[in-house]
Amino acid sequence: MLNHLLKLMWNKRRANGLIFLEILLAFVVLFGVYAFGFYNLERYSSPLGFSYENSVGVHMDLPDDMDSVAVERLQERILRETRELPGVASATFLGPVNPFGGNTWSTGSDDNGFHLQTMMVFADENYAETLALEFREGRWFTEADQAGKYEPIVVNGKFIDEYYPTRASMIDSIIQINGEKKIVGVVDNYKYHSNFAENRPLTFFSPRSWKADGQNPFEQLIVRAEPGQTAAIEEPIYNLLSSLTKNPDVVIWNMAEDRIKANRPVVIPLVILISISAFLLINIALGLFGVLFTQISHRRAEIGLRKAMGATPAEVTTQFVVEVVLVTLAGLLLGTFFAIQVPLLELLPIPAKFFYLGIGAAVATILLIVVLCALIPSRQAAGLQPALVLHEQ
Amino acid sequence: MEIRGKGAKAPRAPFTPYPPYPLYPFKMIELQNVSKSYRTDTIETLALQHMNLSVPAGEFLSIMGPSGCGKSTLLNIMGLIDEPTEGSVSLAGKEVTSYNGTKVARFRNEQLGFIFQSFHLINDLSVVDNVELPLLYRRVGTKERRRLSLEALEHVGLSNRAGHFPTQLSGGQKQRVAIARAIVGRPNIILADEPTGNLDSHMGDEIMDILTRLNTDLGTTIVMVTHDERMAKKTHRLVRLSDGERVS
Repeated sequence: MLNHLLKLMWNKRRANGLIFLEILLAFVVLFGVYAFGFYNLERYSSPLGFSYENSVGVHMDLPDDMDSVAVERLQERILRETRELPGVASATFLGPVNPFGGNTWSTGSDDNGFHLQTMMVFADENYAETLALEFREGRWFTEADQAGKYEPIVVNGKFIDEYYPTRASMIDSIIQINGEKKIVGVVDNYKYHSNFAENRPLTFFSPRSWKADGQNPFEQLIVRAEPGQTAAIEEPIYNLLSSLTKNPDVVIWNMAEDRIKANRPVVIPLVILISISAFLLINIALGLFGVLFTQISHRRAEIGLRKAMGATPAEVTTQFVVEVVLVTLAGLLLGTFFAIQVPLLELLPIPAKFFYLGIGAAVATILLIVVLCALIPSRQAAGLQPALVLHEQ
Repeated sequence: MEIRGKGAKAPRAPFTPYPPYPLYPFKMIELQNVSKSYRTDTIETLALQHMNLSVPAGEFLSIMGPSGCGKSTLLNIMGLIDEPTEGSVSLAGKEVTSYNGTKVARFRNEQLGFIFQSFHLINDLSVVDNVELPLLYRRVGTKERRRLSLEALEHVGLSNRAGHFPTQLSGGQKQRVAIARAIVGRPNIILADEPTGNLDSHMGDEIMDILTRLNTDLGTTIVMVTHDERMAKKTHRLVRLSDGERVS
């Protein structure tokens, strides 16, 4: 029977050309959407590595006319008095690269002839506690580390996996990143750009490195509130900081809202692509319905004849479903041939598995829709009375 | 006769002649008190009324009557592609009135061959593929199917046209392909609905010759609906209908 249908479809290849083309185009679009979707889904499902809930970010302008000792004292006072505010659980100073802020600092260095490239975050001793960082091993740097021989750093897991995959532990190792640095801890993840950000090698530097670099003092604060107190602490923080810095330019933002904004550059295109795909699939479904109903109305005599020759209703249904599935498979086969070139030739910087997943999901979706759309008209064809349709001609 | 499975073979040689009519006196077709009515919202049309008809095995029977008298309805009921409103139908010794779905499809496939006035060939299939159709639904293997189809085409003198498509054939040739398709499964009964109706008299005579040969050589029971008195005279017996009733 399959040979018979293959022969029939081959002989009707011109008539089926448009369905073939429609399937091919739908496959290409769906493949892209699925590959992009799966890639981002995996990134979204990997943990951020820190807590942003109940937290606000604060930017202030410290007075320019103070010496470094006075600035340090002011920072200590800001931190102490902020923590003493009702509803505040924790607070930490950090450099210009804040979570969901969109800033990126990176540096490259040679460690014994081995090139390292890492993202940079500068933060004080309270950062790990305030953002509830999760450690793979080691700890966050302390005040005691500031006086040690080497500047302390904390790196993320990706840093170790990428540059030191064979080392059992890197704790207390001295590496070269803008001078000799001592690794005191390794955090699991720290995706500070957004939920969809790639987990790239990253290093946390202490205030000691920041000062050694001759930079202006930290002017950003992250304050974690007690649960349910996030909105309530904003005004006291503003009043306190504008008073202490003698400058009303204090900006406070909710980190949960910032996270949503940071995710938008991926979420919006994804929603648009999914909407286009859904629209495309609905069009395919309607198109197939139309084509099959038209085909069946044109082939009523043939259906009657086949039934007169001994085709059972199930065989008539199967024939029409298989016919459209064969055309679909031809379109999918050609589409897969093109799609598979993307991972094989490494045309895009996305791991190959997402393209293979995309191919599989697109094939499964289209086949499912095609079979569902073919079933109703095919069953209608199977129900035709041969005596009636054979005498219509 | 049932041929199933890949490579299955016909239990007997496909065109071994039967003893000629009337040496097989059993009833191949028997209709008892068959009526057929078509009902719409407002009216009921009686197409057949209390029809009784017996067709012995090996008979070549023709049915005549004016348009709308119920000839085709009678043929459709014999061919199990329409159901009687009342009465019973027996074919090849089996009471088939209650058959439906898969059972009726299998019975049609194994026992009945159809020839239509408008040929009903599938234009997207070659001649030999059209002829193969009944064997396809009998699950006969590809090679055996091809062998039997070519043999059937040879029987109607069209083996040289096996690879052609129906659109490349004349009306007479198309009807010969339809006859080959009807006989390829070696049915006991062939039902022909005005097989010469769309052909000129020369072509019509050719088709009648083939049908007569089928009947005399192979002993196939043939029931033919026709409007042509000349063709009807070539058959063993003529039944006339009028207004859904048998008048002779």
